[in-house]
Amino acid sequence: MNPGPQVVTHLFGKEFLPVTDTLIVSWVVVVLIAIAAKIIGSNLELVPGKVQNATELLLTSIEGQIEPMLPGEGRRFLPFIGTIFIFVGVSNLSGVLPGVPNPTADINTTLGLALLVFILMHVEGMRENGIWGYIKGFAEPVFILLPLNIVSELAKPISHSFRLFGNIVGGGIIITLIYQAAPWLIPIPLQAWFDIFIGVIQALIFGMVAIAYIAVSKEG
Amino acid sequence: MVEFSQPVIDVIISASALLGAGFAMIAGIGPGIGQGYAAGKAVESVARQPEARGNIITTMLLGQAVAESTGIYSLVIAIVLIFTFA
Repeated sequence: MNPGPQVVTHLFGKEFLPVTDTLIVSWVVVVLIAIAAKIIGSNLELVPGKVQNATELLLTSIEGQIEPMLPGEGRRFLPFIGTIFIFVGVSNLSGVLPGVPNPTADINTTLGLALLVFILMHVEGMRENGIWGYIKGFAEPVFILLPLNIVSELAKPISHSFRLFGNIVGGGIIITLIYQAAPWLIPIPLQAWFDIFIGVIQALIFGMVAIAYIAVSKEG
Repeated sequence: MVEFSQPVIDVIISASALLGAGFAMIAGIGPGIGQGYAAGKAVESVARQPEARGNIITTMLLGQAVAESTGIYSLVIAIVLIFTFA
């Protein structure tokens, strides 16, 4: 058993630009989301049908999560947070299909997303408080705490990415062990628990922690 | 000074890595207590104010996710120990 991303092929030649299964599955997820968004968005109606209704419910509930923490800016952050939530959610759910690895069970995917949030929160903090005022915020309440504040700031993307990664990988390892021990019927509820419930909850938490980081950073 | 041959050294490294992975997962106690405490407090709050259920559950999940980080760190360390050293 060798968990983690496997190198499937190389893009150029034998050794250059390895392509992992994570990369393939995450591109498939991205393309599927883009096609679905294009189809749903192309025929919007004033009286929504079933699919449009469900999409509107999803987007308004995401906006309703952003609005209490970032007052008045729910609509501005909706594209970013909504994209992260939907991508992570679909990636977590892709483990339900047999033989398809979770793109989020790879530290590269989660760390990439966490670094995006990291950059956005510092940019937002600087836009809100001014560059000098934001940097000065690290030296509060006393100047001696500056290194501690910087370390706690650098720990944010690490904990943010490792939380999602650890949850998904842990669930995947447990399911693999169960499949080896009892391959019939018993894994079904476990798969539903780890891939569907934990997947959706972790996507929700990933998005909400991103909102919370941005909100904390904007306060200075 | 006892000289060990290479296979013996490999076995010792594997054994120590597996033991270390087991010890690392002792950290699972902490998040368990923390998440249980958060869930218990959330149940109390919902019992007192059933109309604020949605907000309480959202806040509880966020707090539990943050409390879970230490457990996840230990899990990642255990996975690294098992799959790269053992």
